[in-house]
Amino acid sequence: MGYTLVYTQVLEFLPYLVKGAWISLQIAILAFFGGMFFGLILATIRTFGNKILNKIVICYVTFFTNTPQLVQIYFLFFALPEFGILLSPYIAVLLGMTLNAAAYLCEIQRAGFLSIRQNELDAAKTLNFSLVQQVKYVILPHIMRVLFPPLSNHYIIMTLGTSMAAIFGVEELTGRAFNINSETFRSVEIFSITALIYIVITFIATFLLAVIGRYFFKAKIRIIQ
Amino acid sequence: MPQIEIKSINAFYEKLHVLKNIELSVSKGEIVSLIGPSGSGKSSLLKMLVGLLIPKSGNIYLNGNLVNFNNQSDLRIIREQIAIVFQQYNLFQNMNVLKNVCIAPTKIQKRNPKEVNEQALNLLEKVGLKDKLKSYPDELSGGQQQRVAIARALCLNPQILLLDEITSALDPELVKEVLDSIRLLASEGMTMLIVSHEMNFVKEVSSRVVFMDEGSIIEINNPKNIFEKPKEKRTLDFVSKILKEK
Repeated sequence: MGYTLVYTQVLEFLPYLVKGAWISLQIAILAFFGGMFFGLILATIRTFGNKILNKIVICYVTFFTNTPQLVQIYFLFFALPEFGILLSPYIAVLLGMTLNAAAYLCEIQRAGFLSIRQNELDAAKTLNFSLVQQVKYVILPHIMRVLFPPLSNHYIIMTLGTSMAAIFGVEELTGRAFNINSETFRSVEIFSITALIYIVITFIATFLLAVIGRYFFKAKIRIIQ
Repeated sequence: MPQIEIKSINAFYEKLHVLKNIELSVSKGEIVSLIGPSGSGKSSLLKMLVGLLIPKSGNIYLNGNLVNFNNQSDLRIIREQIAIVFQQYNLFQNMNVLKNVCIAPTKIQKRNPKEVNEQALNLLEKVGLKDKLKSYPDELSGGQQQRVAIARALCLNPQILLLDEITSALDPELVKEVLDSIRLLASEGMTMLIVSHEMNFVKEVSSRVVFMDEGSIIEINNPKNIFEKPKEKRTLDFVSKILKEK
């Protein structure tokens, strides 16, 4: 094969790529917490809400977990302008990922609700815990312990999913890799470095999440895999 | 004046009539055992006394004061004076043994943590678990967990202790260690209501025995009479059946 790897030219773009990674991270974090919040509302409705609301949430979750995220964002980006709603690529991606995450995180948080042990709540009530104290001392510690591992996993998946934003012209990590590629045509070097940056981001996140989960919430996570 | 007076209580789970016209009074220092087939309302009666089941009609007096179950401060008062130990222990899985025992006295009753800690250590020593302070419930056997639950209830300094089939979920060899803890309490004069299928234990510790069936109290008698010459035929049927199985 006649291809020689030349990294020097691409390495000049490293700060540019790292800044892109920062944007990827922003999207992932914002969409994750937005999805957590919206998903919590959905999970609450699914667990405690009335029949009609329940059905609506089921439809929502079914739709978003059974269609590709790319198609969902396409819809927001290209179909909504037909109805007079114009979104910037960044907002369209952020919104799409948030709505998608809400569906998955609804299901994860619902599992957490269902895992609350009624007999512990009975004990808490007879020990005179107020509702707030029940949540603080019994429900939250238990839910966080159960939910931390699946939530961490979903966060990592979302971090990698942000690369979809490149398709819509958002200049995050993958988007910037595209840009450099069309300028230098050093595809192998560019995408190997890009992949490496993703690995670094997810490794750091995995490590931090494991430490937080293990020591704050006593979740059963191994720090070093 | 009786410590607890239950007057014509009726209670329901949804549509199921679980307590029918219950009348019972318990004096200070008495140990009253409730026996009867499953579903007869024994556990429901205990749950009602700690406000986990709200009666639909009838009155309950605690130390002569009428309890209003729909009033939070009344609920708070009965729960301060009456502690319950559950069949399934109901320990907080996310807390170690010491924390399970100390949390309500320190965080809810707002007592001095040092003093509570000392009391908890004493109680845990009494039930033979002094070496398990830092263990979590899932690291303990059923008998050990049940003894933690007993210590947790006692650390609230209750006037009355309710024991809801506390040995039913335990292996036979673990039953003794739990019952020994209760015997010790009985000798100290604590008022207790005990739901139990351990007939020998009931016979041994009770001041009076209540036989329930289908939500009603059928007979109240002293332990000797209820097992040897019960007044009611249903009691006799139950007692002879259960003693035959032993």
